[in-house]
Parts: sequence; C-alpha cells; structure tokens
Amino acid sequence: MFKKMIAKSMSKSPWIYHMNTGSCNGCDIELVACLTPRFDAERFGFKLAGSPRHADIVVVSGPITSQSKDRLIRTLEQVPKPFCVVSLGSCPKSGNVFKGSYSVEAPLDKYVNVDVSVAGCACKPETIIEGLYKATLILQKKREAMEK
Amino acid sequence: MRLPFTPIALKNLFSKPSTVLYPFKAEVQAPPNYRGKLTYDPTKCVNCGMCVKVCSPGAINRIYEDVEGGQHITYEFDMSSCTFCATCQDFCSTGAIKLSDNFHMAEEDHENLMVRGSYFKKSVPGKLVRGDDCVFCGLCEKACPEGCIKVDRPNKTWTWDEAECVRCEKCVQKCPKKCLEFKAAESGVEWSDACVYCTLCEKKCPVGAIKVDRANKTWEIDKEACIKCGTCVSVCPKKALTLND
Repeated sequence: MFKKMIAKSMSKSPWIYHMNTGSCNGCDIELVACLTPRFDAERFGFKLAGSPRHADIVVVSGPITSQSKDRLIRTLEQVPKPFCVVSLGSCPKSGNVFKGSYSVEAPLDKYVNVDVSVAGCACKPETIIEGLYKATLILQKKREAMEK
Repeated sequence: MRLPFTPIALKNLFSKPSTVLYPFKAEVQAPPNYRGKLTYDPTKCVNCGMCVKVCSPGAINRIYEDVEGGQHITYEFDMSSCTFCATCQDFCSTGAIKLSDNFHMAEEDHENLMVRGSYFKKSVPGKLVRGDDCVFCGLCEKACPEGCIKVDRPNKTWTWDEAECVRCEKCVQKCPKKCLEFKAAESGVEWSDACVYCTLCEKKCPVGAIKVDRANKTWEIDKEACIKCGTCVSVCPKKALTLND
C-alpha cells in the first residue's frame, strides 16, 4: 500500500534541479518565469530543488564551459536514478554561437543521454512547460521499467 | 478612515487566478513578430547561399547530390543550433526563409528539430552551335532521329529546333567537318548602359563576382564565379541589370 502511495506521489511531484553551465541567463530567467503565478508550472508538481540529490529532472542550460564541465558531471552523478535530463535552449544541444570555442565543451549528449531538448534562444516559458511535461511522462516510464 | 485597495482586493478574492492554463485548457498565441520555428520554401530558393554565409551559429547546412540531368539541393536548418536572429530571413532575396510564430519546439527526438527542404535544379541544356566550316552536306539532318535539323543545300541555310532536340549528339558524331557542337547556354547577369557605377551590386554580390571601377567607368562580371542569385538585379537602383535564366 505504501509503495503505491509513494509511486503516485512521486509521479505527481517531479522536482527540478537547474544547472547553469555558462548560460547567458536568458533561458534561466525563462525557467524561473515558468514558476510564477502567470505560467505556474507548480500546478504540475514541479518544484525547484536546492540539491541534485532531491531532483527527478535535471534542467541544463548554457553551452557547458570547460570550467563547468567537471561540475556538471559530478552533479549528474549525484542525482538518484531514475532521472530525466532536459536541455534548455540551443546552447547545451549544439553550442549555439559559441560552438568551436576553446572553452566550450558542448554538446551535452557527450556526457549524458538528453531526454527532452527544448529549442529556442531563449525558449518561451510555454515551450519549457511543454518540455517539462514530456519529461515527466518519460520519467514515469523509466520508473515503471526500473520496478520490473 | 479610508481603506486603500479594498475594491481591488475584493475583486481579486472572487475572480479567477491569472494563471494561463497552458497546455491543457488554454491555447497560447505567440506575440506579433515572434521569431519561432523556421519555415523554408524550396520552390522559391535560388541557392545563392546567403543564409549559410550570414548564419552566426552555423545552423544551416547545404547538401548537393548529383543526379542525372541536374542536382538535388537540400537545405538543412538545425533548430537546436539556431539563435533565432532572423538574419537569414532578412538576407533571403526571394523570401524562401520565414521564421514562423510556432514555438512548440520541445522534442524528444532531435530529428523533429530539423527543418529540411530540397529541390531539383536542372542543369542548363546546351545549345547546338554550328561552326563556319559547314558545307551543308545534310548528313546531320539524316542522322537526327527527331527531325529537328533542317538543311537547305541550294540556299545554304541550316536550322535547328531546340524544343524538339533530345541531345542525343548523333549529329555531332556524323558531321564530317566536325563543326557541330553542344555548348552550354549563356546565362547570367546582363548589363545595360543605364548603369551609374554606384558599386551597390559589387557590395551586395555574395560571391564577389562583380567588379565595378567608378573612376574608369567599367563594369565587369566573372561569369564562372556568378551563381545567378539575382541579388545584384534586385539592389540595382537604376534597373540596369537583368538576369537571364
């Protein structure tokens, strides 16, 4: 009975950990805008977690600078499985205008399997909500697969 | 005693929350001039390559594929690499690239973030050219399976029907004087003396094929380098340039 309750409450409250890997702050602001009363992503149960150990969904923004690469890998190792990775904007997916720079280690696909990529520069809050909702569905599937 | 904001507070107490119930209960329209997912119309594209050149993140890729009778040209726009600056749209001389107001770009599959378009570019068919050595023997007329060559020996006339010709080159092979030849048709930009040598075409040419000398009043085009994009024709203030296709 408890297991069922836990499973249900887990699916209704996917917590987000936001990782900025050298982003220009455009996507970060839009992600925070999602949590305002106007867009209110919290009605789906999303909540910004302060620690990666509490997170179900890791949202990565920025083109992954050399400085932040090791931190990104260390952070992703701390997230309990199963978890989803959402890339925010063009930067983590390809490097955007910074690709080819000596200090940029994009794409994110090199380090972790990206489940949902949200395009835009910066992405619209509605698009982020769409992406996060898709991520919750994937998360649920991953959890079911893990229980079996 | 006055209670400020009381009417507003009461109104808000009984009114609905201001939350936009996206994505399930409300549809959201992007604001005007929003730059969203790119759309590409390959029928309008003239393959000038300007978009590839101006794209700052290098999100546009052009693929050539040689097929019989021409080329398949494919343009690939990677939305996960785009900055949505719309410079490609501004520089597109034919309006083939447009940034739509579609913002639904949260995808699990990267393939859905690619915008592709391709078209077939026919290679320009050659024209049959007759040299001065012709003796009007009429062998080419006999060799032609389509009957598109007419030779009148007494009057020394030779005609060729371009529309009927299938370019089998049988006439070229049969010619005893070797004076028949298929030559690539001359196409490109034509200049007229309405030109005021303003050098706008030189500045706007994406491949740098045009050289204008203002002092000596000369206008030159490198026909090999010209890609027939028509940018010079559209920028010419005196309408002195025309494009022959």
